[in-house]
Amino acid sequence: MLALTDIAVRYGDRDVLHGIDVTVAAGELLAVLGANGSGKSTLLRAAAGLAPTTAGTVTVDGRTRRNLDIALIFQQIHLVRRRSVLDNVCAGALGRLPLRRSLVPALFPRAVREEAMACLDRVGLAHRAHDRAGTLSGGQQQRVAIARALHQRAPVILADEPVSALDPAAAEQVLALLAELAHAENLAVLAVLHQPDLARRYANRLVGLRDGRIVLDGDPGQPVDSLYPSRALQEVP
Amino acid sequence: MTLPTVASEAPRLAVPPKPRRPRAALLGWVAAGLVVGAHLMAWSATEISLGNLVAGWQGMARFLAEAIPPDLSPQVLADSVAGALVTLWIGLLGTTLSIPASLALALLAARATTPAPGIYQAARGLLSFLRAVPDVVFALIFVTAVGLGPFPGVLALVCHNVGVMGKLWAETLEDADPAPAQALRSAGAGRLQVASHALLPSVTPQLIGLLLYRFDVNVRSSLVLGLVGAGGIGFLINQSIQLFQFDQMLTHILVVLVLIVVVDRVSAIVRRRLGSSA
Ligand SMILES: Nc1ncnc2c1ncn2[C@@H]1O[C@H](COP(=O)(O)OP(=O)(O)OP(=O)(O)O)[C@@H](O)[C@H]1O
Ligand SMILES: [Mg+2]
Repeated sequence: MLALTDIAVRYGDRDVLHGIDVTVAAGELLAVLGANGSGKSTLLRAAAGLAPTTAGTVTVDGRTRRNLDIALIFQQIHLVRRRSVLDNVCAGALGRLPLRRSLVPALFPRAVREEAMACLDRVGLAHRAHDRAGTLSGGQQQRVAIARALHQRAPVILADEPVSALDPAAAEQVLALLAELAHAENLAVLAVLHQPDLARRYANRLVGLRDGRIVLDGDPGQPVDSLYPSRALQEVP
Repeated sequence: MTLPTVASEAPRLAVPPKPRRPRAALLGWVAAGLVVGAHLMAWSATEISLGNLVAGWQGMARFLAEAIPPDLSPQVLADSVAGALVTLWIGLLGTTLSIPASLALALLAARATTPAPGIYQAARGLLSFLRAVPDVVFALIFVTAVGLGPFPGVLALVCHNVGVMGKLWAETLEDADPAPAQALRSAGAGRLQVASHALLPSVTPQLIGLLLYRFDVNVRSSLVLGLVGAGGIGFLINQSIQLFQFDQMLTHILVVLVLIVVVDRVSAIVRRRLGSSA
């Protein structure tokens, strides 16, 4: 379980997040929604230890967060395009391998490769193992990134707009995969989304952010209009 | 809506006058003045004299008359080709033997991979030093140390090339896409792991391209090193000038020309292939 308690983040003299309390249970997919600039990415980065928190704690299964505990998935997929799909997935295990077994891909132990194949199989891409990552479609690359996250064996996956660069069909596929993995592998998955509709269908719970505060937390089917500036009220410059 | 069929019907808008920038204009004049001044100083400092050039014309003509036709006798040609090959081997080893040190220094001198700011500065400093000392100077030092021949040439090229290639590689690493590296770092990978699994593979074609470019340059440099005693065909050219055998010198120069063109073509072809596979 991932727990953020009373997190605050400040950039310069601007408070970007205040008093954030969120928990994501193992086996749960939590969707985070909010307007541009509301602090969603900052919340994710704070959970991953990448944002300057001024207050609060992050724990994983009751212990202080370690880098290895959290796998990240990004909107811009961040695979090494010139390496094979399999090598990219193997990179998920780097954090637990000694340098002499991991300095170059040829040194990866057999067990690491085979576990990577199993992870690739989990996302339906075992048959592409030896292709260059850059030759896959965006949706396939995002699934490779998920396989890499699985190979990291982290109990928590944080995904920042994992489907924003994908077409609707690929987006469905990736979210369905994340939801299925959360349940089947008992992972705590937190995904930032911009599509209330996808959140409603795939998330177990929904958190809404506005101006750095949590203003909604609960049923993924609840109305989210209050999160977004309404068109009628928008200022005309 | 119908599109206008006559050009004059296309919408137009008057172009506003350019804003005046007196400061920029003044700076332009100052810069032009400095450039002209520098050239005037350079002209007098280098003792440029058209008179001497004209007076030397006859010497030049006699020199050419003796050099043409080149001495293409089998003995001279064989010496020449053997010398050219030594030059090629010096350039080759000077390039490949500098790879380990260049890579190590590049990793220390790139922000994304350096372990500490102090080490970054030290590595940059060392690279600048190696780059600042010309390979000919290194060659003169090594010739004194280990004697005449190709070996000091290789040592000299390695020293200078580490400085240049290490710097070029470090810059390439700094320009590499930081996103995959960040992804691995956040998954718990260490500095060397990040370098070898994210940064290096994404810039491999650029690194190899630079390596080939340096090979090309180093073959040409090793020719100059021969002139100061570090073996190869440069040494033969120097010898033939000192013995006034200008026809042999021309043979050597023609062989050099062939060597340079071949190396240049081969490295261009390989680089193009690399570019298309990137
Ligand atoms: N590194 C930073 N330095 C300064 N300000 C930052 C930094 N990162 C984020 N911010 C500010 O924090 C606020 C929240 O940014 P954040 O990226 O978390 O928004 P978001 O909800 O992810 O938006 P989007 O939907 O556009 O991705 C923004 O106003 C942004 O300008
Ligand atoms: Mg964001």
